[in-house]
Amino acid sequence: MTAPSLDDQLQEMVAQATPAPGTPARDPVNPPMIRHWCDAIGDANPVYTDPAAAEASCFGGIVAPPTMLQAWSMLGLANRGPGSKTEPPRAGGGPTQLLNEAGYTSVVATDCEQEYLRYLRPGDLLTGETELESISGEKSTGLGDGYFLTTRTTYRDQEGEVVGIMRFRILWFKPRQKGG
Amino acid sequence: MAELAQTLHYEEVEEGTELPALVIELTPTVIISTAIASRDYQDVHHDRDLAQQKGSKDIFMNILSTNGFVGRFVTDWAGPEAVLKKVAIRLGAPNYPYDEMRMSGRVEKKEISEGEGLVELSVRGANGLGDHVKGTVQIVLPREGAA
Repeated sequence: MTAPSLDDQLQEMVAQATPAPGTPARDPVNPPMIRHWCDAIGDANPVYTDPAAAEASCFGGIVAPPTMLQAWSMLGLANRGPGSKTEPPRAGGGPTQLLNEAGYTSVVATDCEQEYLRYLRPGDLLTGETELESISGEKSTGLGDGYFLTTRTTYRDQEGEVVGIMRFRILWFKPRQKGG
Repeated sequence: MAELAQTLHYEEVEEGTELPALVIELTPTVIISTAIASRDYQDVHHDRDLAQQKGSKDIFMNILSTNGFVGRFVTDWAGPEAVLKKVAIRLGAPNYPYDEMRMSGRVEKKEISEGEGLVELSVRGANGLGDHVKGTVQIVLPREGAA
């Protein structure tokens, strides 16, 4: 009996996929992280950073830039001690490990679709539940040969209310050797 | 408090209207500070040696930051009380340091949906290598005469 192909194993994982219940974000939505983001992006919209202006706006108070949705649940350097040489943990579980072992060791994000059901306010604590939606066959790309993985994450607040939805696609690829 | 700038009304926006261009200088500081502000510590966004070992010519902007620039580009134009409903982007050429990203966009469609003034925009950010990002953004704008 021959071993199942990489493609078959990956498609089996898609078929078996169940939503991975997320853990709550490390920090609630908070003004310091919002300010860092706005400084870096150069976003001067006062509804994100100026309490009085935000209060006078249709939002009635500070709101987070909606495009920060994903940032709230990023792990950052969590589980990675100071000075550690290990890589930060990567989302993706089984298929990621399988692809890494098969030599698809580099990753880039290629598509992101975010839907905002409401703007987030300081104090909101998000939990994202991510489900593997699909994996492509092997594709030849400008970066090298690889596989596209698509996930869908549902973000809920501390009350369990859905506040945002994200569909995210990444490419795991075999980096091309430099200089022949 | 900062003066709350005017927000465009739904009635003021025409299909086909071009958004004013926005040019982002892609300094290493911009690439790295935006990655860290989005809590993305993947080494390819801040460590050139490791980025090169992984087949990239340099560090490059992460997708969360591209989202942020797209959001800023739209509200810089529409005003502080424009409400983002949806941002859908596809990445192409990476944003490497020492390049610039020139953002452009236009109003593709407008319609009243459940009483709200829904406007759909196409957005593009081009760098020296080609299109870094192409996408669609949906916003709601206040309607004239509404409270």
